[in-house]
Amino acid sequence: MAITEDRPLALEAGTVTKVAERPLGALTRPQSDVGWASWFTTVDHKKIGIMYGVGSLFFFLFGGVEALMIRIQLAAPDGQFLSESLYNQVFTMHGVTMVFLVIMPMAAAFANYLLPLQVGARDVAFPRLNAFSFWCWLAGAIFLNTSWFLGGAPAGGWFAYAPNTSVTFAPGSGMDFYAIGLQIVGIASLVSAINLIVTVLNMRAPGMSLLKMPVLTWMLLVTQFLLLFAVPVITIALFLLTFDRSFGANFFNVEQGGSPLLWQHLFWIFGHPEVYILILPAFGIISEVIPTFSRKPIFGYPFMVGSGIAIGFMGWGVWAHHMFASGLGEISVAAFSLSTMFIAVPTGVKILNWLATMWGGRLRFNTPMLFACGVIAMFTIGGLSGVTHAVAPSDTQQTDTYYIVAHFHYVIFGGSLLGMFSGFYFWWPKVFGHKLSEKWGKINFWLMLIGFNMTFGPMHVLGLQGMARRHHSYAKEDGFGFWNGIVSAGAFVIALGTLAFLINIWLSARNAKRNPVEVGPDPWDARSLEWSTASPTPVHNFDVEPTVEFQDDWWHRKWGKNDEGKVVRKAYPEDIAQDGSATDVHLPSPSYWPLVLSLSLPIIGYSIIFTFWLLIPAGALFLAGFLGWALEPADDPEAAHGHDDHGNDDDHDADATADAEVEGASNV
Amino acid sequence: MKSHTPKSEVAEVEASKAHGPRRFVSRRNGLFTVAGLSLLLAGCGDRHLSTMDPESPIAEKLDTFLVWLLVAAGVVFVLVQGAILYMAKRFRVKAPEDESQVYPDEEFPDQVHGNTRLEIGWTILPTVIMAVIAFFTLGLLFELDDVSANDDRQIQEVVVVGQQWWWEFQYHLDDDGVPDIVTANELVLPVGEEIRLRVTSRDVIHSFWVPTLNGKRDAVPGRYNPWTIEAGNAGRFPGECTEFCGLSHAYMEKFAVGIPLDEWQEWAATQQLAAALPEEGTSEFAGWEVFNNQCASCHVINGLTSHYEDGSIDDFALYSNLRVGESGLDAVLDQPPVRYIEKQTQVSGAAPNLTHLQSRSTFAGGIFELYKNPDSENYIDLASEGTLNRGALEAWIVNAPEVKANAWDSPSGQRGMTPFTALSAEDVDNLVEFLTNMTYAEGNE
Repeated sequence: MAITEDRPLALEAGTVTKVAERPLGALTRPQSDVGWASWFTTVDHKKIGIMYGVGSLFFFLFGGVEALMIRIQLAAPDGQFLSESLYNQVFTMHGVTMVFLVIMPMAAAFANYLLPLQVGARDVAFPRLNAFSFWCWLAGAIFLNTSWFLGGAPAGGWFAYAPNTSVTFAPGSGMDFYAIGLQIVGIASLVSAINLIVTVLNMRAPGMSLLKMPVLTWMLLVTQFLLLFAVPVITIALFLLTFDRSFGANFFNVEQGGSPLLWQHLFWIFGHPEVYILILPAFGIISEVIPTFSRKPIFGYPFMVGSGIAIGFMGWGVWAHHMFASGLGEISVAAFSLSTMFIAVPTGVKILNWLATMWGGRLRFNTPMLFACGVIAMFTIGGLSGVTHAVAPSDTQQTDTYYIVAHFHYVIFGGSLLGMFSGFYFWWPKVFGHKLSEKWGKINFWLMLIGFNMTFGPMHVLGLQGMARRHHSYAKEDGFGFWNGIVSAGAFVIALGTLAFLINIWLSARNAKRNPVEVGPDPWDARSLEWSTASPTPVHNFDVEPTVEFQDDWWHRKWGKNDEGKVVRKAYPEDIAQDGSATDVHLPSPSYWPLVLSLSLPIIGYSIIFTFWLLIPAGALFLAGFLGWALEPADDPEAAHGHDDHGNDDDHDADATADAEVEGASNV
Repeated sequence: MKSHTPKSEVAEVEASKAHGPRRFVSRRNGLFTVAGLSLLLAGCGDRHLSTMDPESPIAEKLDTFLVWLLVAAGVVFVLVQGAILYMAKRFRVKAPEDESQVYPDEEFPDQVHGNTRLEIGWTILPTVIMAVIAFFTLGLLFELDDVSANDDRQIQEVVVVGQQWWWEFQYHLDDDGVPDIVTANELVLPVGEEIRLRVTSRDVIHSFWVPTLNGKRDAVPGRYNPWTIEAGNAGRFPGECTEFCGLSHAYMEKFAVGIPLDEWQEWAATQQLAAALPEEGTSEFAGWEVFNNQCASCHVINGLTSHYEDGSIDDFALYSNLRVGESGLDAVLDQPPVRYIEKQTQVSGAAPNLTHLQSRSTFAGGIFELYKNPDSENYIDLASEGTLNRGALEAWIVNAPEVKANAWDSPSGQRGMTPFTALSAEDVDNLVEFLTNMTYAEGNE
């Protein structure tokens, strides 16, 4: 048996050095990296990723309760559970919450945690900015939801079509919370996008060319580029709305020559790439899960990457298919109809490649794989109904009916959310050091899948039967009662599935505490670099910066081919993975200022809505955060280096503002 | 027929009060008598809302196209789901019962990294499929866009005006630019004539949709969106508002009513008559006085309301809010149409013209039946044959916001009808008598 690998399979490791104690001051950096307080100052991409995950799950429960309220209201004809006004607030916040406060941050959780690991880096490029992104997102999310207690939540729909959102037609403060809240959340996305793009482009491990990156990294990269260009568009739209509402501007006021369609164009130029922002991370996740559980490499890697990029590009040319009923003119409609149809091509390529990856494999149906197969199956349905919308004349019958609601839930729930759940089960051992229970995982999966199809399958029928969206009730004579009953029952089955997930988290954690089982660095026999280090991931990620030779490099360290071309083991993961014991790894120091700075933003929001006097504390906080950030040492050599005399600093000083300077251990 | 439950019943004391939805129309709900497949394929309610149950040539084409699409999608669906299930069965490696065994084992399948020819194949294949669909889509798109020339059309154009939360229809029978008939919530059409619509709005965006006749077209303030509609058969075809427009979005109904040409001509002639003043001393006259004091600042009755007698404001121009110029229809359509300027506090445009209220089958944005026996096949005889749904009408007049949510008291301007709880029972009775026993001055256009 000859293995054609002559490099050392195992990576070096060392011993840990603890950072020295030293006094803290306003302009020195905090240093504790343990204890509850450390979560507020951390700049560690893993902790930030976990916080994104926890935050998104929290708001998932929020948005879920809102969904259940909608479904109680619509379970039977003439629902009396919610008033018209409350119903409008609830469906608006359900949409806003699920898009901006659940799926996007959940993807950010995976991006933050995994992206540096997958490219073999020790952190993101700008760790303090990363912390700022998270706190900014959380501040915006909480700000948005305080509207419930401050005069009513936004009630203009997540799409907020002008002029229904103007002061005249929405006199309360709800839409102000929408405009400013999303603005703050948007800052988070934009900052994070830049951060992650730089991380991928600049901080890949030696040897990892772009075309050796894992598919997840690729899809996250495409997502960040989409965010980078899409968020500014919604930013402009939201500024125009804020100016209309708060400062008497007339961008969308027809009487003064404004244009309501301007809002629609701006919103959907953001809004359609946004759909791919929501789905591509999930595509990336299952592109990691399916090869691992099929024991085969991803089929057609360059085509997988290429189709992701193609989707990213084509996603910019299809926005007006949301406006086929707006009266665009037939030439525009024809053009957008065509572009929308052809975006089905790269998507179809992806589905076929996943299927080809599974073909002939040795399939293990652990929970991550179940969810991944769920994504292929459910997303396909959403894609097919999408084609029926691309046919513009046919779309005029479907748009703004429950058929559309069915379609995009098959994409966003059936695609994005199931994909995220696949990711949760897959990477849980890497993050927390224990697996989630398979038994509860399967309960979780089947409840969700069945509940999901009960909820959104019948909506296709309801839409074709003529049930319009966003109606707070329907009459018995409409004949929608039967399917709506099933839909509402399905929503509660989804709720049970979610409950099973929470129970799973709790039971698995308790179980892991009572009977600790060494989960090992690589419990699934997976393929990418994050599995080559200890579980849970050590604070410095890698003892030694990994070097990469192949796509799926970690797999190639474990397995090789013998003379007959048969796959044989070269090494066991336990033997070759890093054990996380390295010393003197220089990590970015924690900081107070991202939190302080982001806290000022919602107060600025309140000041625009309620009283400008609030600008005084907001401005003070903003300045404090801004100056503190600027004046604290970008790096704290005293603290962070500990006993390290790590030699050649010159390479890095020029780059000191990018305080992500994470170096390989130089004095092992 | 739709019968939303009013939030409270003010006037109709004989009806059960607080519990249970009160239906102004009683119709059997055929839901559970219909078998599964037809449930899927067509609407199962009594109301005629299903897109898969077309009543016009256009809707027929849309439906046929969708069915073909769904067939094609069904094939892909079966192939993909079938592939997943097949692979799950054939390639599955079960976890061993005995946990001590190595799992996953050391066996590997062929490590296939890809196949360029396959990839190219399955890039081209969906492209070809989509190209075929695109070909037929463009065909249909431009075919529907092409309104047939018709020199003897009865109606030159209908301007459809959405506002919170009802629809106004302004018929232009000729091309002088002045609406000849103005009605609310019911678009009465001669069967078999393709009607050109221009859809607009006085306030926020609404969407005009009669699912059995054609797809949607948004009513966007400041724009006149062209659209066509045709009633292929006689009947009353309901449609919801389908662009979210605020509180009573669900209560913004309209009907396209198809009637035979001769009946339509009779209807159109009647609709152009102005009202005559009731005889003094009658309850109708007392009702007129109440109307003139309480209602006339928003509602118009052709021939009676002071705006008309005054002569300074053309009545059609007033309630359609279109300043009529000299140069005909196009000039009208060029006007900024959005708000009802004469009454600054009311932002949502004029209230429905009530001259021919009694000829309509519904009121309050099409959500309540005006007559208790709307089964009448004969739409144009409703007024003479119907039994008035008086309780509902009085409840609406006395306290509209109670039966249909609106924003009459919004700080940013009135949207929707004010409550008139101060009216005495007698006033309300007289008002209803006046509105539903309207007589018309012959020959007055």
